[in-house]
Amino acid sequence: MIQSALFTRPVAKHPVRFLATVLGIAAGVASVVSTLGASSAALSSLREGVGLLSGRAALEVTAAGGVPESELTRLAPLALDALLLPVVEDVAKCTTLSDTVRVFGVDLLTDPRFAADSATIATAPPIEELLSTPSAIVSDEFARDARVGVGDSIHLTIMAKPISLRVAAIFPAGPSAVLGRLVVVDVSVAQRFFGRDGNLSRIELVPRGSVSSTALSERARELVSRGMQVGRPTDRAEESETLVRSLEFNLATMSGISLLVGGVLVATTLATSVVQRRRTIALLYALGASRGQVVRVIFAEALFLGVFGGILGVALGYVSSRFMVDGMRATLSTLVSTTAPTAISFDETHAWLGIALGVVVSLAAAVLPVLEGARTPPIQALRGETPRFLSARALALALSIATLLALVAYVLFLQPAWYGLPIAALAGALVLLAALLALYGPLVDGLGRFAGVRFSVPAVVRLACAGLSAGRRRAAWAAGAVGVAVALSIAIATMVGSFRGTVVDWVERSIHPDLAVRGVRGKTGVPVGGVDREVAAIVSATPGVVDTYPYFVSSARFGDERIGFGGVSFEAVRKRGWSAMLDGSDSSVAIERAWKSGGVLVSEAGAHRFGWKVGDQIAIDVRGQQFERAIEGVYMDHSESRGFVLADAGDFERLVPDADPLFVELNCRTPADIEPVRSALRAAFAGRFEVEINDMPTMRASILSVFDRTFEITRALQIVSAIVAIIAVLSVLFALVSERRADIALLSAIGMSSLEVHALVAVQAGLLGVLGAGFGSACGLVIGYVLVTVVNLQSFGWTIAFDAPWIAIASLVGFVAAACTLAGTLPARAAAQRSMRDALREDG
Amino acid sequence: MKTIFASIALIGAFATAPEDARWRKITAPIELAFPRDHGSHEDCRTEWWYATGIVADVDDGARFGWQLTIFRRGLQFGPPAFGDPALAPRQVFAGHLAVVDLTTGTLVTAERVRRAFQGLAYASTSRLDVVLEGWKFALDADDTLRVRALDRTNDLSLDLVLAPEKALVLQGNGGVSTKGPEYGNSSGYVSWTRMRTSGTIERSGVKRRVEGESWFDHEWGSSQLAADVVGWDWFGLRLDDGRELMIYRLRRTDGGVLEASSGTLVGVDGSAQHIRSADFALVDTNTWKSSRSGAQYPARFSLKVPTLGIDVVIETEIPDCEIDARASTGTIYWEGPVKVRGSVGGSGYGELTGYAAPMTGKL
Repeated sequence: MIQSALFTRPVAKHPVRFLATVLGIAAGVASVVSTLGASSAALSSLREGVGLLSGRAALEVTAAGGVPESELTRLAPLALDALLLPVVEDVAKCTTLSDTVRVFGVDLLTDPRFAADSATIATAPPIEELLSTPSAIVSDEFARDARVGVGDSIHLTIMAKPISLRVAAIFPAGPSAVLGRLVVVDVSVAQRFFGRDGNLSRIELVPRGSVSSTALSERARELVSRGMQVGRPTDRAEESETLVRSLEFNLATMSGISLLVGGVLVATTLATSVVQRRRTIALLYALGASRGQVVRVIFAEALFLGVFGGILGVALGYVSSRFMVDGMRATLSTLVSTTAPTAISFDETHAWLGIALGVVVSLAAAVLPVLEGARTPPIQALRGETPRFLSARALALALSIATLLALVAYVLFLQPAWYGLPIAALAGALVLLAALLALYGPLVDGLGRFAGVRFSVPAVVRLACAGLSAGRRRAAWAAGAVGVAVALSIAIATMVGSFRGTVVDWVERSIHPDLAVRGVRGKTGVPVGGVDREVAAIVSATPGVVDTYPYFVSSARFGDERIGFGGVSFEAVRKRGWSAMLDGSDSSVAIERAWKSGGVLVSEAGAHRFGWKVGDQIAIDVRGQQFERAIEGVYMDHSESRGFVLADAGDFERLVPDADPLFVELNCRTPADIEPVRSALRAAFAGRFEVEINDMPTMRASILSVFDRTFEITRALQIVSAIVAIIAVLSVLFALVSERRADIALLSAIGMSSLEVHALVAVQAGLLGVLGAGFGSACGLVIGYVLVTVVNLQSFGWTIAFDAPWIAIASLVGFVAAACTLAGTLPARAAAQRSMRDALREDG
Repeated sequence: MKTIFASIALIGAFATAPEDARWRKITAPIELAFPRDHGSHEDCRTEWWYATGIVADVDDGARFGWQLTIFRRGLQFGPPAFGDPALAPRQVFAGHLAVVDLTTGTLVTAERVRRAFQGLAYASTSRLDVVLEGWKFALDADDTLRVRALDRTNDLSLDLVLAPEKALVLQGNGGVSTKGPEYGNSSGYVSWTRMRTSGTIERSGVKRRVEGESWFDHEWGSSQLAADVVGWDWFGLRLDDGRELMIYRLRRTDGGVLEASSGTLVGVDGSAQHIRSADFALVDTNTWKSSRSGAQYPARFSLKVPTLGIDVVIETEIPDCEIDARASTGTIYWEGPVKVRGSVGGSGYGELTGYAAPMTGKL
């Protein structure tokens, strides 16, 4: 009976509200599940890639920037104890598939992964043919998707050059997504295509017989040159995984926010259902129901919402992760160069985790409504229940709790990153939200007291304040829900707005060339690899071009950390400047200084991560060669978070002689030359190179478009937050109207018009909106500040200029207050339509 | 992992491909100079260094037959062009190692293949110094040949010193061995037919000090087997009277024997006497069938060389000496110790090819 009175019947009566709550939880769970699904697919792609492709290799020799093939000779004394396998691994765009593929260059003669069996030896292509003509081996999945067979051609774009490969053989990929998009070529062919003259991605060591990998590792370390790392293939995976994990954490945090919003929705729904059914609960108590029974029913409702929302969320999350994985790939491909496409597989753990999250959040959200339900007096007492202000002690306690929580949040904000992640700062944000919730009780109480003050305040406002104060706990709930939703919305708006503003400023100050030539983009919009050196030569020889700036990128090691290492002609770039400098100085000056002194520039992320400062000497390891220079400037770069050292092209090419430019920028003699130069370049590249030639506005727009696309999800979160706020206010107002119907009836009896009743309820709604949105905005602004200055810095090492989105805040507060007031018309109408006589009679 | 790619057939390093006419054809007469001609002939497409022997444990007398061959195959003629990657496959080396325990009759084999790369797979062009992933033929200054090979997977190793007891033999016509009727279908071929051997052999973790006798061949050329040749039967025999006999027959698809089949008898004093196909009859008289490949190999031969008074039976010591080398040279063949009885006794090694699959167009 209790179940039916408190749960089944109300659900049947308000299915839309129930569904909305389930959807709220589902949305939160879905975003967490899809984030975990997509990132775990990326992670498994990494692990699987490393695991499958490293085969039986127990060890591998790697180095930042690649391993010189001469290391094979140094390792030759190990040939009796281990099979030495040179490997070149990179990604290319497959024009046949219109997708990126992993190109795996191995020694086709030696590699045991490519051993023949007796059944097929007779059909083997002659090895001379396989090795001397550009041939590839592809998976059956690849062959099916590309509709190619043995003898057909597949087309790739590598270093902006169109390459055709004859399919020499097809292998079964099995269930592996990694192998499904694998193009296997001979190692020398891969070296030629990727411009890795004399360079390898790694050398794998497969122990022969019972040779111990420990002993092998020790001997290999003695043999290899300085700067080479000897480790397990899984070390490489773990290094990449660290980058992915950081990304996963940040995405999961964003998803967590939406789950929090979902939680607020559940709490609001449950609180409302308790409030709206106070009389029913009170009657049940009078009829002998125990508090335990009522509490169990409320928890059961929460459990029901959690389970349903969780299941629906898992399903939605699984579907959306399929779309999300492309975005993950785009981001990952900038983090891990050889990350290949991946597929989402249903992970049972994520499913259970999603449902568990839904249940836990729902149950946690049910705690306060449960207390409300438990505190409800029996029906006899309900009638005599009168509104009371908070006692001085209760007020002091509530304010102390809010203050203490705020202090705890502050302390957490000051903590450094834990395990390299901004865990403390995010926990601080949650604690601050809790402080905000704790504050709403005293705030609503204050409204009631304000109603009693003899100022010239319109009676309807005083009545509204008194009404809210009378239902303080419910009103505080509503205001709290609005506050949390608004706070999250403002925090996100602050972070995104600040980030965007910084990026816009960075782009404005950093992008100077008239045109930029870069490789074609993959499916995800990220350019695949660099461009051939000949592209730079063509650009340089084009009439109308005055300056050409090929930009080279490789990697290096700073201590044990892998960092980025790049090169550009300082002599050329000093004329036009480089990326914006962290200290706001003119980048041309820093470049000029570096050019004259032979110094380097470093990225801001590196400066934060490793404490690099202007004037310091920095020593890095590039392909086993020590490179030591003075730091002449710290520049801003919002495209990398590992740390980056920018050297003069002369130094770079000496250390990495086989590198091809990532892109080539150019300046024209006059602005009028830009279009003719672009046309001339297009003609020169036609049929030879597949490149994009972008002008400055296109480049800027492209960067901002990538940025906006990345943060699209935040807009959805803001909308959800606003909806939650409105639902919360609506629910509570209905409850309050129902609760105070006798008061409203009495007011009507003594002459209050229907319009005045409308105004009373609308003012209550507006007050809740203003109270929620006002304090929520302040809290959101603080959290936004923390996201910008602490979380972002700890996550990526970028400085973002804090930019309070005042217009957005004002708009949101106005919108929420207006929406709440407008939403208040519904309960107002309900109040106005209620039969005065019935209400008075009912109340006795 | 291996199973994923198991259906890809890549190996077949010695399968045919369009010929580059620049590869040097071997024709008589040939000018030989040593130690240079012990080294690699990179202008020739194919080359191998081959050593076999029968040794015995100095302590318990247990006998072992052994074989180590390192092949070289040129894929691209001439020196690399400027900018060519060092890993570009210009030459490929393959190696076969086999040790047979004549007491237990067990054969253990291993194989290697790798493109030429400094330190890992190379052959000197000026002396006998051939290396393939640690397997090695090296001629010391005192003309002793060091043979080293180790295979961790099968617990197998050789470390032998081979000292020639006779002068180097120029096989065929002054070192030119004809393999077919076409112009240039010949190879340069030199041998040390009797070499005093000592060193160690290790099998299954047991290292034995051994002594015995061995045979060494070095052959190079650019020709392929004629289209109608399915395989060959080759023997290198050390006769008990102090002479050595090398003899081979090239089998045609029609069951006949190619006229280019021939042999060389090396006298006690080291003098070489060429034997033409018309001078001998080599006929198989018994067979052994491999349960692994299904190939049926001759297990006994009758050899008659009337002009030299030789009438012997050549019989395999251990029938199962089939070597599956598909992962390196793409072939399955028989190679093992043989014994000789009849007009003269002796022992040696035999090589029987083309029984598992035709060798047409191959080496």
